[in-house]
Parts: sequence; C-alpha cells; structure tokens
Amino acid sequence: MKIIACYSNKGGVGKTATSVNLAYAYAHAGHTVLLCDLDPQGASGFYLRVKPSKKLTDARFFEDVERFTKSIRASDFDGLDVLPANLTFRDFDVFLSRMRNKRSRLKKALTMAGSDYDVVILDCPPNFSTLSENVFKAADQIVVPVIPTTLSERTFDQLVGFFDQRKLPKKKLSAFFSMVQGRKTLHQDTIEAMRQKYPKRFLQTSIPFAADIERMGQNRAPVSIYAGRSAASLAYQSLYEELENTKGSAK
Amino acid sequence: MGRGNRVFIICEGFDLGSFSRSIKDLTLISEAAHAPCQFDLLDCHDQSLRAGGRLLIDAGDTLQLMRDDGEILSQKGSGKGRFVQDLPDGPVRSALSGFPRLRALMSIGSGAIESFTFAGLDDLQKTQVRGRVMTLSSNDGQVTIAVVQPMQGYRHAFKTVCAALERVAIKEHGIAPVFQNLIPFAVPYQAKPKIRLEAEEPSIQVASDIIRSYLAVARQNEAGVIADTDTEFLHDYRVSLRRIRSVLSLFKGVFTPTQTAVLKQEFSDLMTPTGRVRDLDVWLLKKEQYFNLLPENLHAGMNVLFAQFAKERLRLWSELFNRFRSAPYEKQMNRLAAQFADTGTLHPGPDADRGAYDYARALIWKRYGKLCKQARRITPKTPDEAIHDLRIDCKKLRYLMEFFAPLFDSKAFKKIIKPLKKLQENLGLFNDCSVQQDALLRFVADQSNTKGRVDAQLALAVGGLIAVLGQKQKAERACVIASFQHFDSPSIQHLFHSLFHNPED
Repeated sequence: MKIIACYSNKGGVGKTATSVNLAYAYAHAGHTVLLCDLDPQGASGFYLRVKPSKKLTDARFFEDVERFTKSIRASDFDGLDVLPANLTFRDFDVFLSRMRNKRSRLKKALTMAGSDYDVVILDCPPNFSTLSENVFKAADQIVVPVIPTTLSERTFDQLVGFFDQRKLPKKKLSAFFSMVQGRKTLHQDTIEAMRQKYPKRFLQTSIPFAADIERMGQNRAPVSIYAGRSAASLAYQSLYEELENTKGSAK
Repeated sequence: MGRGNRVFIICEGFDLGSFSRSIKDLTLISEAAHAPCQFDLLDCHDQSLRAGGRLLIDAGDTLQLMRDDGEILSQKGSGKGRFVQDLPDGPVRSALSGFPRLRALMSIGSGAIESFTFAGLDDLQKTQVRGRVMTLSSNDGQVTIAVVQPMQGYRHAFKTVCAALERVAIKEHGIAPVFQNLIPFAVPYQAKPKIRLEAEEPSIQVASDIIRSYLAVARQNEAGVIADTDTEFLHDYRVSLRRIRSVLSLFKGVFTPTQTAVLKQEFSDLMTPTGRVRDLDVWLLKKEQYFNLLPENLHAGMNVLFAQFAKERLRLWSELFNRFRSAPYEKQMNRLAAQFADTGTLHPGPDADRGAYDYARALIWKRYGKLCKQARRITPKTPDEAIHDLRIDCKKLRYLMEFFAPLFDSKAFKKIIKPLKKLQENLGLFNDCSVQQDALLRFVADQSNTKGRVDAQLALAVGGLIAVLGQKQKAERACVIASFQHFDSPSIQHLFHSLFHNPED
C-alpha cells in the first residue's frame, strides 16, 4: 500500500480535483485505490456522487477499524473506492489532541483499514494542524498543487519552511503547477523562478486552468469520463505517469 | 465478476424496464448491451462440465465460463472443436485446467444469446449495484441468467435487487436448470452405463442387456468419429464393442455355440476396420513424448515417420467416415440392436436360464483361478507371450467383475479392482511397447524398396525408437511381477474366496 497525500496549506488550488482525477488515473491503470476524503467539506465524495458517511463520526475514524471499513463506498469506476467525509471531520484536531501518539494515528488507521488497496489517496484540508502533521507522517508522497502566483509561492515557502523546522523529509514533497494560464506573464515568471529555487521539488507536469475541470461539479465525475481528450484530462494522466515513473510503482 | 455475486435463473426472457419498476428507490438502466448473436454451449462428450456445475458459453469470439456460485470468467477466442490446452492463455483456460486432455470441446446446444449489463442508480445517479443479464434461446426453450454484483458500501441496494429477482427466478440452486431449459432432450453420455441386474435374473437376459447397452454406447460415438472431434470417440466405440465381444466369449453356454460363433465373428468384423486407426491415434497422441525419447539428430527421421502416420491415419479415417455413413452399416447396427432388444430372437444355450448371481460367481472364480495359476508361474525368464496372455486374462476378469458388479458388495469390489487396475496398467504399457516395436518393424519393411533398403534417416529414427521401447518394455516387465504380487496378497485372495467361492453362501 502506498499513501499519496494531496495537500496544500492554501485553499482553492485544485487539491480535490487533483485527488479525484489522480485516483481515477491510478484505478484506470489497474491499481486498487481508496480515495480518502479528509476535508469536512466532502468535495471528493461530491464529485463522485457518494453521500457523506453518517456513521464514521467523531474519533471513530481513528479508533474503529470496522466502522472505517464499513464506511468505504465503491465509486462508479472499477478499482476506485471512496471514504466519504462528513462535517465531524472538522474536529479531527480535537480528537487527535486527546490521543496518545497523536501524530501517527492516521497512519495506523490507514494501515489497518486500507491494506487491501494498492494506493490510498488523501484529499486533505488546507491548514497546518495536528491532522496535517499526521498526513506528513503517513504519506509516502505529498503532491502539492501550486498556482503560479505570488501568494501561492509564499505558502509553498511556508510549507518547505515547516518541513525544515520539523526536520521532515522534504523528498516526500512533489509539487506541480496547477491552474496554469500560459498567456499570463506572471504565471510564466513565477514558474521559472520557483523551478530555479526548488529544482528538485517540482514535477514537469503542469495542470492548465481549464473549464473542463471546473465542470467536474456539474458532471460529478473525473474529467477523463466526460472530456477524455481534453488538455486537462491528458495533463492528469501525465501527472499520474510522472508520479508512477519517478517515485516507484504503486505496488 | 466474482465473490459475493448472486445468480438467478429465470425460465423466460427478461425485460429490464418492467423489472426496474418493481424496485423502490433505485432505477435500473442498461449499460453495455451486446447485439444478439449465436452461441454454443460447450462441453465434452460426457458433459463433465455440466456435471461439475459449470457452464461454458462460446459466443461472439468470447468464451464465458460460469460457475454455480455466480463467478463468471471470460476470455477472447472460440473453443468449439478445440482442446482446452490449445486455447489461448486466459482465465477460462486456467479454470478448465482439469478438463480431460484428450477430449475436445464440442457444442452440446446452440441458439441465440442477448446480453447486457445493468446499473442500479440512486437519486444522485450514483451506481449502487451492478449486474449482468444473459438471455439464451434455443429451439427447445429460453432461459435468462441474471448475476447481481454487490458494490462496497451499498449492501442494501444489492439486497433489494436480489429480493426482487427472487420473486421471478426459480428456487433451485445452481445452473442445472439452464441446461434443462435449453437442451431438455440431451442425455449425458456414459461410457460405462449402469445396467440393472437382479440376482435371479436369467443369464441370457443379463448378457443381452449388457450387449444392448454397449451397442447403444458404441452408436453414440459414431457422430464424433465422423466429425473427427477427438480420438476418444473411436476409442470408446472400440471399447464398447470389445465389451460386447467379451460377453460373447466369457458368458459360456448362454447362447448356442453356433449363434455365439456367428455373433463373435460379426462383432470382430465390426472392430477390424478401426484397429489400425486407433494404433495410429496412439502414436500421434504421444508424438511429443516419442520425440523426447530420441536425441535431436534423429528428429529428421521422426518427422518422416510421423508424417507417414498422419497421412495413413487420414486415409483410414476417411474410410471409416464413409463406412459409418453407409446404408449397409446402418442396417447392420439396427439389426443387431433389434436382435438384443428382444431375447426371444436369441438362441438360448444350456446356461441361459441360470441365475445371474450364481453364474457370475462361477465365472469370476474360474477366471481368477486361471489368472493366478498363470501369473504365479511368471519369472524373469518367462517368454513375452505368457505376459501377453496374462494381460488378456486380467482384462477378461476385470470385464466380468464390472458386468456383475451390481450384484456384489461395492466396497469389497473396489478393494479388488484397485490392485487389478495397477497390474493392468503395467501390462498395458508392456503390451504397448511390444506392439509398437512390431509396428515399427512392419512399417520399415513396408517403406523399403525392392532391394530391402530404406531411407537412412527413417531407419535411424526407427532403430532408436525400437531400442528405447525395448528398454521400456523390460522395465515394465519387472513392474508386472511386482504388481501381481501385490494383487496376489492374502487379503485379496481372501476377498475373492469369500465373494465368489464361499460354499455356505
């Protein structure tokens, strides 16, 4: 089992779209995938038409393996299952703070409940918290969407700084440029500057700013399902391939 | 589709629209629908797949294997007329690995198939349950197979659809009703049919029952020989006729000597045109093994040898093809069947009315005694002929025991048959080696020119084979002696005595 977190400390950068499309790409390639929605907004589940879990509430996520497993729902796509979120997920930090080994609870829960899967993809909420520290510890790879703008640059610096400060392995971080608009000079300049500053942290693939991705909310499906030949669909496929080929296979 | 699936059999067609309306909170929609096409139900001649609760459908260049538990495997390709080991690699081929190697897959029923997959959607258009429906129609009936597949986290939807299907499906578990509906008149083939016997039944009745049954078995194999589906049809045809001949020679005194002689000759004549084809089949089936016996530098001659065998086999098979389809043959077989259908037309001999049990005990005991006397005399120096005679005697004893088996304790019979079978295997191999050496010598003689010379490559290959077969025959001879000693153990002797020679009985 390989755990891939889709994380950014900044909101609205395309984490959920990346989680869903990446999860689909892995499943489509023949891997068994669990997409675990850790964001209380439950957008991953929404995109895949899976209703919020009613029974996986409060601290049960970390303590009740059976309930965790029972809350997993098959998506409409072969090999892709979803653990939908609910609003009680917003209190994860409160539960975690009360627990022993509070930074490794997520890894423990995923190892116990998700061992049947080749890949577990975590759609994470945007903040620095005990939960995100759990994510950093549990994940084998942390995929970070970065919009090539000044604010995003700043938040990425903060993330790297946090890793330095906590002595976390930075090689887990695989950033990529998201919502890229090639015609904007600011985007071009930021990309160039950030690639120079973090030559090892950025993947080659960029995901364009595309209406096809925005339409995921209407279609409630991965982009490849309703716009298979679109630039966005191809970009997610390429992101999957780059992750698979550069960082070891999922199995 | 795999674990957790449920299968439902419906004895008619299936309309998804009206079925969907019978289910609350879910809408069933058809997903991938396949255009109607021809299908064949595949099995081997004895329908062993059917007996094992499996259904193999060959349609639209796809093979689908379904088990009683609802697991459906599929792979590309067609299987009709092919051997399982010759199918392309795939899950169906793997699942059929226990299928007899010598039996080809043949169509045991055909018709039209329509299939589609369906999805059960909730109010968000989210799929909560999936399934697959196949409707098969033959000239004799129609049947729908619905397989429902649960999805993780949506147990309720699965149960709802299953409950609705339970209301329209038949109650019987398994896929047997598929066969009953589509091919209601197909009777599974049995190479050794169970023949009912009564202890006091007159021997002439027993003999004619056995002959009539095996005549029918022989006839069931004719179509497979004509179609040349696989070599086992001719083999079973010959075995059936051999059993009949053994009844005629072993059931002494049941028919008049004149009628016995006439019948023996007639059945012998029926077998004669098949003997060489069977010998060639055995060669060709073991072609690879023979090639492995010889070094590669002799393979050129082996190729010539086997090409000649294949050519000869084709020629002789076409003669059989014509023979089996000829009017005189048909007439002869019908006449024989009629003759044994009514014992009134047979000529009873002095033992015709003797009760079956009493008669069987006498025959088996006598045959057993003869066999043991002969076998105990065998030493490493005994001529080969004595071993051949022992093989024939073992076969006769085995046939007798099989014919009369229903009259005796089956457990005791099994105990006797097991070591006898082993002995027969050794004797069979010994005989094969010997017969094949003779056949090779004859073959070379036939191939030689007027000056008695043959192609050097061919001679080398044949010489090599004869040498290897000679060695094998020697080794098998030693096994025969060991196997007989096992068969001749005090416990088996005691069993024979108590079953067939206990005077108080």
